[in-house]
Amino acid sequence: MPELTALVTFCKHHLRPGRPGVWAVAAACARLVARVGLGAGLLLLLLMAGAVGPAAADASSDASGKNTPRLATLDWGIAQNLTAMGVPPIAVGQTAGYATWVGAPPLPAKTRDLGLRAQPNLELLSQLEPDRILITEMYRAIEPKLERVAPVSTVDVYFTPGPVWHNTVAAARKLGRIAGRPEAAEALIRRTKKNIRDAAARLPANTAPLLVVQFADFRHVRIYGRGSLIQATMRRMGLENAWHGKTTRWGMAVVPLSRLAQIENGRVVVMGPVPVGVTDEIAASRLWRSLPVVGNAPVVYIPEVWSFGGLPSASRFARLVAGALRSAPASGLGWPRQPAGGS
Amino acid sequence: MTPARLCGLLALIVAGLAAAALSAVVGGDWIGAFTHPDPNAITQIRVYYSWLPRLTVALLGGAGLALAGVLMQQTLRNPLAAPTTLGVASGAQVLLLAATLFAPGLIHYGRGAIAFVGGALAVALVFALAWRRGLAPTVLVLAGLVVNLYMGALSLALILFNQEKLHGLMIWGAGSLAQNNWGDAVYLAPRLVFTGLGAGLLSRSLALLDLEEAGARNLGVSLAWLRLASLGLGVFITASIVSALGLIGFIGLAAPAIMRLAGARTLGARLIWAPIFGALLLAATDLSLQLVAGAHAALIPTGATTAALGAPLLLWLVPRLAAGRSAPRPRAAPPAPRLAAPWRMIGLCAIAMVIMTIIALFAGRGLHGWNMPFALPWSETGAWRAPRVLAAGAAGTLLALAGTIIQRVSGNPMASPEVLGVSAGTGLGLLALLWCVPGAGTPAMLAAGTAGALATLILLIVINARAGFEPEQLLLTGIAVMFAFGAVQRIVLAGNDPRTQSMLAWISGSTYYVTMNTAELIAVLGVVLIALAWPLARWLDVLPLGEPVSRALGLHVTASRLLLLVLVAVLTAAATLVVGPLSFVGLLAPHLARLTGLARARTQMAGAMAFGALLMIAADWVGREILFPMEIPAGLVATLIGGGYFMWRLRRI
Repeated sequence: MPELTALVTFCKHHLRPGRPGVWAVAAACARLVARVGLGAGLLLLLLMAGAVGPAAADASSDASGKNTPRLATLDWGIAQNLTAMGVPPIAVGQTAGYATWVGAPPLPAKTRDLGLRAQPNLELLSQLEPDRILITEMYRAIEPKLERVAPVSTVDVYFTPGPVWHNTVAAARKLGRIAGRPEAAEALIRRTKKNIRDAAARLPANTAPLLVVQFADFRHVRIYGRGSLIQATMRRMGLENAWHGKTTRWGMAVVPLSRLAQIENGRVVVMGPVPVGVTDEIAASRLWRSLPVVGNAPVVYIPEVWSFGGLPSASRFARLVAGALRSAPASGLGWPRQPAGGS
Repeated sequence: MTPARLCGLLALIVAGLAAAALSAVVGGDWIGAFTHPDPNAITQIRVYYSWLPRLTVALLGGAGLALAGVLMQQTLRNPLAAPTTLGVASGAQVLLLAATLFAPGLIHYGRGAIAFVGGALAVALVFALAWRRGLAPTVLVLAGLVVNLYMGALSLALILFNQEKLHGLMIWGAGSLAQNNWGDAVYLAPRLVFTGLGAGLLSRSLALLDLEEAGARNLGVSLAWLRLASLGLGVFITASIVSALGLIGFIGLAAPAIMRLAGARTLGARLIWAPIFGALLLAATDLSLQLVAGAHAALIPTGATTAALGAPLLLWLVPRLAAGRSAPRPRAAPPAPRLAAPWRMIGLCAIAMVIMTIIALFAGRGLHGWNMPFALPWSETGAWRAPRVLAAGAAGTLLALAGTIIQRVSGNPMASPEVLGVSAGTGLGLLALLWCVPGAGTPAMLAAGTAGALATLILLIVINARAGFEPEQLLLTGIAVMFAFGAVQRIVLAGNDPRTQSMLAWISGSTYYVTMNTAELIAVLGVVLIALAWPLARWLDVLPLGEPVSRALGLHVTASRLLLLVLVAVLTAAATLVVGPLSFVGLLAPHLARLTGLARARTQMAGAMAFGALLMIAADWVGREILFPMEIPAGLVATLIGGGYFMWRLRRI
C-alpha cells in the first residue's frame, strides 16, 4: 500500500484546486481543448454527413412490381402473414428478434429494421415513405404519431372479441384486402387449413391430451391454453389440451413446475427455445421425473413457434408437433434425455 | 405488543396456513411425506421436493434479510437503509442479464454464482467510492444510491431490447420462491448460521455506534473496520439470498423497524427478534400467496408482491418510526469546494446547452447513415426532433430545480424528487392505465399520470401534516411509494405479457411520446414555476441551517416546507409526465452543481437547471443516435452519463 499512499499524498499536494497556478493553467488548457474539440467535432460531423449523404442514392425503390404496396409493420404476426402472402413488408420492428422467435417464414434480407416495436424510429419511417403502416391494438398509443407518416390500419386478433382462430383468419383476410391481394390471403388460409389437416392425418392414433409448455427458467413454465393460437390449432387437429386452467388474454399461463403435478392425464410438448442451463437442471430434477404428465409418455420437443398472430405459425406448429409425436420413442422419459427430433 | 408476542402470533398464523395447505395436498400421511416420501405418490413427492423446501427457504430468506437489515440500519445510521441499499441486488441482476445475453456459456457455472459475483462487484464499487472518507455512512448511502440507479438503468436498457429472452430472469427478479429440490435450502442454511454468529460477535462494538461518532472513536473502536466487517456480513447474506431466490423487498427494511417499534430498543434484542419476525413474515406471505395463486394465470411472485403489499404498512409505520428514532444521525452533506465566480460557470454551462441543442436538432442518422444538416426535408428530421429536444430540456430543468429545493429543505443527500415518491406515483398511474386500457392515447396517459401524482401528493400531505413536514419523514413516505412502484413494475415484468413492452418504454423515461403541444405546455409551465421558485431562494438558504435557526430568523418552518413541497411535487409531476419516472436528473444535477462549487441557493438552482437541461438534451440525442434505429430512452441515458460522472466526482470528495 505505500505506493498508493504516496500517490494520494502527491495528489493532495499538487492537484488541489486551491493552488492558483496549477488551477489556472489546467482551466486554460481545458478551455482550449473544449473549444478545439467542439469545432473539430462539428467539422467531422459535417464531413461525415457530406461523404455519406449524397453518395448513397435512393436504392430502395423496388423494380419487382409496380403495384406492390410499400407496407411497414411493427407486429411480427402481421409481418409473418404478409410475407406468406408474397407481399413482405419493407420495414419491421426488431427484425433480429423476428429471426429468433418467429423463424418462419423468413423476412427478405432487405427488410429494414425499425427499432423497438413499441417505439419505431419515426425519422427512419418517414424517410422510407411507406404507403401504409399496419399495427395491432397494442400500438394504439402511437397511432397519432404514425399517422403523420402514412395512413395507419389496425389489424388485431387478441383485443377483438371472439374465438382466436376466427380472429386470426379474419385478420389475414383483412391484411389481404389492405395489401391488394385478397386472393393471396384466401390461398394462405386454404394452405394453412390443408397443412393442419395433413399434419392431423400423420398423428399417431389415440394421442393423449397435450400440455404445450415453454420453459421460462428451470422452475417456471409458460403453458398455452384457452385463447391461444396453439390451442386453436390443436383443436383443428383433433387434439385435446391437457391444461384447463385460467389463461391471460394471450392464452397463456405462467406457473411453477409443481403446479403441473395436478394434471394426471396428458403428455408434455416442450416448445423451444429452451433457456441456457435449463436442460441440465431438468434432467437432474426428481420433481420433473415424478410428474404424472412426464411419466405417462415420453416428452417431445419442438422448436420455437410464434403464437401471437400469424397463420404460418399454425401450420408450423401442426407440422412440428405431428413430426415430433411420430418420431418419439415408445417409452422412457423423452426430452431432455433423448432429444426427440428437433426437425 | 412486545416482540415476543408479535412473533408468537405470526408463528400461529404460519402454522395454521401450513396445516391448511398440507391437508389440502396430501391429506393424512404428511409425516411420511416429510421423512420418506413414496416415490410413486406424486402428492408426497410434491410436498417433499417442492412445498417443504419452499417453506424452508422462505424462513431462511426472511431471517437472513431481516438480519442484514438490522446490520445495515445500525451501521449506516439510517432508517431508510435496507439490505439492498449498497447495490447487491442490482449488481447481481445486471451481471445475470449480461451473462444471459452475451456469454450464455457462463450460466452453466450456475445462476447463483454469477449473481453472487455481480452483487459483490457492485458493493466493492460502493466501498471503493466511499473508502477515502472512512466508509462514512452518508457517503456510503449516496454511493449505494448512485450505483443502484446506474445498475438499474443498465438492467432496464437490457430488458427493453431483449424482453422475450430475459423472461426467466424477470421471474427471478420478482423473487418467486418456487423450489424443485433442497438445493437452495442447503445452500442458505450454513450461510445464515455463519452470518448470525458473526453478527453476535460484532454486536457489542456495533452497539457503540448509537453514540456520536467521536464518542465511539474515543472508546477505541476503529470505525472503518467495524463498518467494513458489519456491512460485509450484511452484504454476504443478502447476496446469498438474492442469488438463490431473487429480489425480495420490504422484509429487510420493515422487520427491524417493526421490531424496534414493538419494543426491541437495544441492538442485541433487534438482532434476535428481527430475524425471527422476518422469517415468519415472509413464510406467512408466501403461504397465503400460494393459496391465492392456485386460480391465477399470471405468476404471483412472492418477493415483489410482498413489497407491494408491504408498502401501505410501511406508510403506516413511517410517522411512528421517525418519532421513535433515538440514535443521532449525521446530517451534513459531504463538504464541497466553493467557486469564486459562480455565474461564469453557469454561463458556460448555458452556452454548452445551446450548442448541444443545435447538435440535437440538426445532426442525426437516417436511411443512409449520417445526413447533412438540411439535406433532408424538415418534416423527415427536425419536425420529429424539435418537440423531443424541447421536452427533454424542459424536463431536465424542472427536475433539477425540484431536486435542488428538496435537497436543501431536507439536508439529506439522498433526497431527490424521485425519492419523494411523486415520480413513482405518476408512474403507478401510467402503469395502471396501460394495464387496463392498453390502447390509451397520450391525453389519457397525461391524465392518468397527473392523477397518480396528485394522489401521492395528497398522501404525502396527510401522512406528514402532524409532524410539520419533517423532511426525514417525508422521504420515508416517498420511499414507501417508490417501493410499491418498483414492486408493481417487477410483478408486471414477471408476467411476460406482450403489453409490458410499451410499459417499459413509457416508464424508462422516453421523450418518444411527446408532441409539440405537450412540449410547449411543459415549457410554459416551467417558466411560470421557475418564476415562482426564484423569490423563495432565501428560505432555501436558511432552512438547511436547521429548524431552530430558521425559526429564530423569522421563518414559519411548517408553512414554508409545505409550500416548497407542493412546488416540488408540481415540478416533478410535470417533468415526469414527459420523461417518465426513472430519470435521475433530479438527484444528479443539484449534486453536480454543488460539487462544482455552486453553494448558495440561487446559484445552485441556476447551475443545476443548466446542468439538468444540458444532461437531458444530450441524453436524448445520444439515446436516439447511438444504436440507430433502436432508441434508448433519454432517462436511461441520462442516468448512465450523469451517474458515471457523478461516481467519478464522488470518488474525490
